[in-house]
Amino acid sequence: MAKLKNFIKKNPSFTVFLVLAVLLVAAAVFAPLIATHDPYEAVLGDAVQPPSAGHWFGTDRMGRDLFSRVIFGARTSLTAALALVGIIVVVGTFLGIVAGYFGGVLDAVIMRIADMMISFPGMVLAIAVAGILGGGIVNAIIALSIVSWTKYARLARSMVLKIYNRDYIAAARVTGSTTSHILWKYMLPNALPTILITGATDIGSMMLEIAGLSFLGFGAQPPTAEWGYMLNEGRAYITAAPWLMIFPGLAIFVTVVIFNLLGDSLRDVLDPRDE
Amino acid sequence: MKKAKKFTAVFLTAVLAASLAACSGGSGSTSGSASSGGSGSAASADGAHLNFACYNYSNSMDPITNVNSSWCFLRYGVGECLFRFDENVVVEEALCDSYETEDYITWVLHIRDGVQFSNGNEVTASGVKASLERVYEAEANGTGNSTPSQYVTFSSIEADDAAGTVTLVCDSQTVNLPGILAYPWYGIVDTSVIDTEVIGTGPYCVSSIAENSTVELVKNEYYWDGEVPYDSITIYLTEDSTTKAMALKSGDVDLVENITTASDLEELEADSNYYVSTTAGVRLGNSYFNFNGVLANDALRQAILYAIDDTTMCEVTVGGMYTAGCSVLPSSLFYGYDQLTDTFAYDPDRAVQVLDDAGIVDTDGDGCRELDGENINLNYIAYSSRNLDEFAQAVAITLESIGIGCTVTVQDYDTALANQSAGSFDLITSNAIVVPTGDPTGFLGNFYSGNSSTYGYYSNEEYDALYEQLLTTTDSDEQLQLIIDMQQILIDDAATLVHGYYNSTFASRADAVSGADITPMDYYWITTEICPAE
Repeated sequence: MAKLKNFIKKNPSFTVFLVLAVLLVAAAVFAPLIATHDPYEAVLGDAVQPPSAGHWFGTDRMGRDLFSRVIFGARTSLTAALALVGIIVVVGTFLGIVAGYFGGVLDAVIMRIADMMISFPGMVLAIAVAGILGGGIVNAIIALSIVSWTKYARLARSMVLKIYNRDYIAAARVTGSTTSHILWKYMLPNALPTILITGATDIGSMMLEIAGLSFLGFGAQPPTAEWGYMLNEGRAYITAAPWLMIFPGLAIFVTVVIFNLLGDSLRDVLDPRDE
Repeated sequence: MKKAKKFTAVFLTAVLAASLAACSGGSGSTSGSASSGGSGSAASADGAHLNFACYNYSNSMDPITNVNSSWCFLRYGVGECLFRFDENVVVEEALCDSYETEDYITWVLHIRDGVQFSNGNEVTASGVKASLERVYEAEANGTGNSTPSQYVTFSSIEADDAAGTVTLVCDSQTVNLPGILAYPWYGIVDTSVIDTEVIGTGPYCVSSIAENSTVELVKNEYYWDGEVPYDSITIYLTEDSTTKAMALKSGDVDLVENITTASDLEELEADSNYYVSTTAGVRLGNSYFNFNGVLANDALRQAILYAIDDTTMCEVTVGGMYTAGCSVLPSSLFYGYDQLTDTFAYDPDRAVQVLDDAGIVDTDGDGCRELDGENINLNYIAYSSRNLDEFAQAVAITLESIGIGCTVTVQDYDTALANQSAGSFDLITSNAIVVPTGDPTGFLGNFYSGNSSTYGYYSNEEYDALYEQLLTTTDSDEQLQLIIDMQQILIDDAATLVHGYYNSTFASRADAVSGADITPMDYYWITTEICPAE
């Protein structure tokens, strides 16, 4: 307990943002308890109503309760963003470590593929991939994974190369450690803090990219409650019924800010050299 | 030292932010002044000028290219046909001023004297013959995608320049030839210069085109049918409906066609500075059922029709962009809508009952009804033109509420059309003109078993017999009765899900433009009726 208190005292901003992030996740998990209506229940006659006591955020063009849809949207948006970041962190780090450690042809192949990916504008390539795969949140995640893993691969590779020739690695080799043991016990832990910090700060931007794809019609499909798609739905009503864009937009803004600041403060926690 | 560093950082940040703000502000004001200055200078230097914003359906204006290009030829006021439709969808003479036929096979058309193309060349009988032959040749040799033979084919086209007549011999009896020749495919172009430019006889001619951006038109000095009100017109090709509405409000344009966002339209209608012309159009918004799938089940289709509240969807969901109805032919046309019975009018309780009675029930308690032991999940394909995706979503939501699973996929038009042709759908949205040649026969043919393969494989022997009879009947009363009977069969068979009839709109700035009324046949946008406000 005292340890925890000490930690909080030492890292107040991280604690605050972690609590806020946990609250967001809790809102997604307990969405059915928080939402006032079924997010998919439409009363066509009650379309585009302004915010009121009955509908806190108003209703959308299909007469669905916007507050409930924003709350349920957290599930889709958070799950998609976390899944995406999870995939690119794992895949990117693995490929980066393997490329850096083994070098040679393997390194050349992996890194040239990564270079090719980087030479395209990311979002445009993601739109192309999502366009070929067809609309859908899973396809959007796949499309963004394909274009986003390279950052982690390059990062992990550079971390591996940094320690590759250190004496303790050589010592490990001489004492008969297996390759997998070296990768697992030395290479990965060395790369992990930087990768995790990058991953945490990426949650926000990945959420924006998913919302962007959904906004363009390549991500979530109707009637899914997803913030980016809800922005798209409200776009036509921007002057007549601005609440259709304001509330999903605010939800994206708040979430992205929380995760970005969480990532920043996580860096302060994990990387004391900055102090 | 530390303080100085901090100060420098803050100062640099402030300078950067200010310069960014200045850049964005600067570019905004530049573009703003450029557009208004452009229209202003055009108006003062070159006389009356109109700025018109419309959706870009095609970058070509050559009638042979495809349907959309032929429509642009007429819509932009560049070309005309031998005949045209008036505001009551009645065909009237245009470049042809009189015609004779005895057997509806051989037609002698007299070409109006003194008509010139916009380049000054005279419109002669042989010029008309060359223009008509060109569109058929392009179809035959594949240089164009327009398919004029869909409506009529000729065994011969003869021109007599001395008499000013063109003699058309149809391959079969064609009662409605004037209506067919009013269709944009048959627009008359000057074939002597067609390799370099598309020249027609309309009130305006093209001076320059910036693809996907603008089309500049100037007055046709040789126009035959009255005074041309504008010296020049700029057409801004604008994809997005809200952008069009905003351009109108900001004064960048004076006239826009078809604002399809209900909220924007409502705002314009409520403001006396704008004149909004709406007409119960001749477009049907519907969804075709695929009879080669689960929707072959009569009870399921009937339940869908009972469950759908088209009135609310037309009035609220799409904000009055459509007028609700039950038949494939719009209530505003003269095809006996009043005599029809809506067999499956909105009745949600009845929908549930029909499903229950037919044994289409949810046995496993997952909220989804089953047919033949499998959960029903309809593959509903929609495209976003003219609010069709909104209809699809509203329908899907309604069907889910009575336990019919439905997945909406919004696709671009070409992909949707490919899926429709391949039969890869359960329901697919459609918005089409039902009287393209002033006559619904062609459209009713979509449900004829010989043609229906691309429209969901509907088939009914009685309907087929009536359709075949309609093709050969020349008596107008008899035609009308056949058309009414055929409509009723389609309703009774729950052959298609009718959403409503699309209302076309024109919105204009009341202080700048007068006479901007939209006609039911949306082949005509820029006409000589549209002129500067007094």
